Amino acid sequence: MSLSHLLVFVILSLVLGRIASARWRGRFLLAASGLAMYWLQPAIPIRHLDFWLPTATLALSVLVWASTAPGVEVDEDKRCLQQRQNRITALTLGGLVLVIALLRYTQPLCCLTPTIPPAVHQVLLALALAAGIGWAARRISGRRPWLHALTLFLLAAFVVLKSEFLAQAASSGLRLLNGQPTATASALDLRWLGFSYVAFRLIHSLRDRLDGRLPELSLEEFIIYILFFPAFTAGPIDRVQRFIQDLRRPFRLGLEDALAAGRRLLIGVFNKFVLADFLAIIALNAVNATQAHATGWLWILLYAYAFRIYFDFAGYTDIAIGLGGLLGIRLPENFDHPYQKPNPTLFWNSWHMTLAQWLRGYYFNPLTRSLRMIKQGQSSLLPLPLIIFIGQVTTMLFIGLWHGLTWNFAIWGLWHGLGLFIHNRYADWSRPRLAWLDERPGLKRLSELGSVLLNFHFVTLGWVWFALPTPALAWQTLLKLFGG
Amino acid sequence: MNNETIQVLAAHIATHIIKQPKRVITPDEKILSSGLIDSFSLVDLSIFIEEHFGVRIADTELNPETFDTLAQLAGLITQRQ
Repeated sequence: MSLSHLLVFVILSLVLGRIASARWRGRFLLAASGLAMYWLQPAIPIRHLDFWLPTATLALSVLVWASTAPGVEVDEDKRCLQQRQNRITALTLGGLVLVIALLRYTQPLCCLTPTIPPAVHQVLLALALAAGIGWAARRISGRRPWLHALTLFLLAAFVVLKSEFLAQAASSGLRLLNGQPTATASALDLRWLGFSYVAFRLIHSLRDRLDGRLPELSLEEFIIYILFFPAFTAGPIDRVQRFIQDLRRPFRLGLEDALAAGRRLLIGVFNKFVLADFLAIIALNAVNATQAHATGWLWILLYAYAFRIYFDFAGYTDIAIGLGGLLGIRLPENFDHPYQKPNPTLFWNSWHMTLAQWLRGYYFNPLTRSLRMIKQGQSSLLPLPLIIFIGQVTTMLFIGLWHGLTWNFAIWGLWHGLGLFIHNRYADWSRPRLAWLDERPGLKRLSELGSVLLNFHFVTLGWVWFALPTPALAWQTLLKLFGG
Repeated sequence: MNNETIQVLAAHIATHIIKQPKRVITPDEKILSSGLIDSFSLVDLSIFIEEHFGVRIADTELNPETFDTLAQLAGLITQRQ
């Protein structure tokens, strides 16, 4: 998201927050989020793909809604009204896609997408296909094998996009289909903006439907939740149950809300576009890691990286929360002073909180519960430290690989997984033994300060794996940081 | 009822989770966001609640948004009993 995107979004949010009546608020948010998705999508060298990828996001969202929406159990009158509203939403979405495609004929105003959209007959064909699949999905809505299949499909798409080898192979295939040369195929060709976050929201909806915890949602509400433009590119990952409460609440932007949101936006702009972008000049990267020989200078590059990545990501979150505030949607916090935390457990309670909570809810907690329930008599068959090790290390490995299927991201995940495990075992051992510190507040504060410094450096040294492309370079850099 | 539930929970956490039986956990003390209970122990606590009170707290609810104090947790248990 650039400053020009942001300026347009702020004006749009102010107008929507101020003038949209309760009846039209949903329609406006739907249209704004749909248009923003196409506008933000970066250019891709494969012909028309920067039009087809946002269209696929929209189609997937509609498909998941059609597969999770309740069937005929609600009363007849209410159902008729809802069906009419959902049909209007589906037509609005189809119309939106068509208008974006038709912009190819409006030179020199073309286009909302970064390159010229495909021919209209192709778009009409795709819309008809999507409508057919959506209609079929409504017929089998809520069936468990189908919901599991959709979840697996989203995970598989995730793997393809995050793996350089598979993404490049997919790019070659698409180029071949398009009659474009395959020699220049690259994993970067598949820059599907927002997919990571969209996939998390879709899987959350599918899983909650399987558990009977998904509220009844109209198509309009569901699409706004999935594509909500302030949180589309970089989160936070809200829960649909919480999001929908704000969406259904009547809202008109008042001075107090506008000032609070404006303050958050200013903090975000300063963090992202001033602090993070300035620190990016000196932050650790593959080039300066090789060039820097002085240990002190290398530490400065690493500290710059640690703060750049924080201000960049936290800045985006501030901007998302600020824009959400203008529209009456209170997006969840994603960061809570993570570098001031005294141990890895509290760090992961305060860094990218919505992702960590998502993985706890849908992976770590069910896994830990099932391992704990493997019992011999009354006691757990597996030793507790082993259960903790498996849960924490594999969860962090997933978080690492979510950034990309590379050795360095895997090692970064393992670094944190082992850090969490070691801290857990240490806390278990030390808590009863160091309880006397509670009666010595001065000493306790000093010990906490030491823990904060130690934990900050543990996290910061972990960034070496994250920032650099190969394990060899990262290891060499770590050795240089300690004078090697 | 809530007080009794709070006492049972506080005793379980102090004895089995943080292993400081003499530690007093007040009803309004933050137990999750403060790091007193980590994510593994939280699952353990939910298994204990299920076995002791017959109340299921779903895996996706185990976070400070659902409850962060003993008073809130006891309220949730009473509500679902």
